[in-house]
Amino acid sequence: MFTHILKLIWKKKKSNFLMMLEIFVSFLILFAVWSLSIYTYRNYVKPSGLKAENVWAVYINFNTQNDTIRGEYRELVRRHLSNIKEVEHFSFSSGNLPFSFSSSNRDFEYEGKNTLSDYINVEPSYAPTLGIEMLAGRWFTYEDTIGKIDPIVITRRMAENLFGNKEEAVGKIVGLENNQQKVVGVIDYFRHKSSFQADENCVFAASESWLSDMLIKVAPDATPEFEAGLARSMQQLGKDWTVEIQHLDDMRRTQDKTIWVPILILFIVCGFLVFNVGLGLFGILFQNINRRKGEIGLRRALGASKSQIWTYFVGETLVIAGFGVFLGLFFAVQLPLLNALDVESAVYGWAMLLAVLSILAMAVGCAFYPSRQAAAIYPATALHEE
Amino acid sequence: MLSLSHIEKIYRTDTVETLALNNISLEVAKGEFLSIMGPSGCGKSTLLNIMGLLDEPTSGQVTIENQVIHGYSDKALSQFRNEKIGFIFQSYHLINDLPVLDNVELPLLYRRVSSKERRKLATEALEKVGLSNRMKHYPTQLSGGQKQRVAIARAIVGRPELILADEPTGNLDSAMGHEIMEILEQLNTADRTTIVMVTHDEGMAKRTHRLVRLFDGALVSSNQFYTA
Repeated sequence: MFTHILKLIWKKKKSNFLMMLEIFVSFLILFAVWSLSIYTYRNYVKPSGLKAENVWAVYINFNTQNDTIRGEYRELVRRHLSNIKEVEHFSFSSGNLPFSFSSSNRDFEYEGKNTLSDYINVEPSYAPTLGIEMLAGRWFTYEDTIGKIDPIVITRRMAENLFGNKEEAVGKIVGLENNQQKVVGVIDYFRHKSSFQADENCVFAASESWLSDMLIKVAPDATPEFEAGLARSMQQLGKDWTVEIQHLDDMRRTQDKTIWVPILILFIVCGFLVFNVGLGLFGILFQNINRRKGEIGLRRALGASKSQIWTYFVGETLVIAGFGVFLGLFFAVQLPLLNALDVESAVYGWAMLLAVLSILAMAVGCAFYPSRQAAAIYPATALHEE
Repeated sequence: MLSLSHIEKIYRTDTVETLALNNISLEVAKGEFLSIMGPSGCGKSTLLNIMGLLDEPTSGQVTIENQVIHGYSDKALSQFRNEKIGFIFQSYHLINDLPVLDNVELPLLYRRVSSKERRKLATEALEKVGLSNRMKHYPTQLSGGQKQRVAIARAIVGRPELILADEPTGNLDSAMGHEIMEILEQLNTADRTTIVMVTHDEGMAKRTHRLVRLFDGALVSSNQFYTA
């Protein structure tokens, strides 16, 4: 029966070509949407590597450009916060706080290999403030910063990119002669841009001069009144200071929204496109079946049962869809083969499988009703219509 | 072979009720070549559809090879039709997108027959109707007579015991009509295939064993020319 269907499709290749093209385009759209969804989902389920609960981002404007005065002001803030029992941990940081719209990156070099990485200047207390756990080595201390070579902590991904999977990262010195940094610790993940961020390179350095904003980890029972009082008390430490507090949780939600809202819009647009293709397919099949009533009557007369007629038309649609899908797969498979876009092959694999299943489900869905209509055609009537 | 007993067929719409067949009883013996004649609209095709299990009578009983056709599922009825009955239509009903050989194979697609066996049986059927040299042609490349011969090959490929022919020579000139008639006669005599043929042509009807006439849905006469 398959050969029989193939022969009929081949003979009507001109009229089936448009249907195959529609399926091909739909497949590519679905493949793209599924790839993006799977990629985003896989990122989402990865550990973030930081605990944002009860952590506040504090933006302090000291209203001075003098680094010495800023250093003194920071010390003043440290002393003030150390005396507040609701404040469990705090750390100054460069402006690229987690889930902020600010970012900073730079190139790192090791034995001729260059890797670009996010770069965050923090204090030793940054790790407990965000609940960061070490994979190897340790977080740097104030003592480390006194040495000739600055200490850094890097993510596992960064370690793999710079040193490969086999070499131990801790103890390695990266950078050029006049700007060397020593890896003292490795952490597993640090996905600080959004819940959907991929596992990326990140380096934490201890450089006092870049510290501008800060993170404060407060006790779980800290109230909004406490928050207002804290902001007020910090502001009163200096003459022209401004202090703004934001919750890291809220910042993460805002960042997440910038990711999932466009994806949702993309989903709706693609869904609409695929729905239109489905409607087109449905129309073509309906017209096809109306045009082939005589053939259906003949098949019924020659011994085809209703279910065989239904299976035949659904099968024919599936074979046509199969050609479109096959062509689509040819192009889709190039992405993992060429390692395009630095995405794991498994993402493409799943996306291909889901796109194939979606197309087949759409084809069966569209063919279901017209084929049922075909099966219900009364043979005696159909034979006299031609 | 085939027995119709008190067959009635009524077509109903919301407002009109049309009596297409009125109390038809008919016996067709095994190996008989029967022709049915009558004016247009008298119910010939309806009768043939009921004989071919393509339509159900409103009342009455159809018996084929001692099996009363009643309460069969669609699947069982389709299988019965596939194995026992061959159809020949006035307008051939060939699938233009398939070559002749594939058209002839069509009834075997609905049986458990291997593709090799299908090819063999279809080739034999085409040889029987003298079209073995046109197997790869498409129906659009054939003359009317050749098309009808393909339709006959398709009707006999499954070796049915009953062939129902609805005006098989109706679209053909007399020479072609005679050719088709000869093939049918040969099938009837050589293979003892029972044939029921609807025709408008008195000459063709007289070449069959028996002629029955229909008028306004009722059987009005029966003439025996030969004995099966």
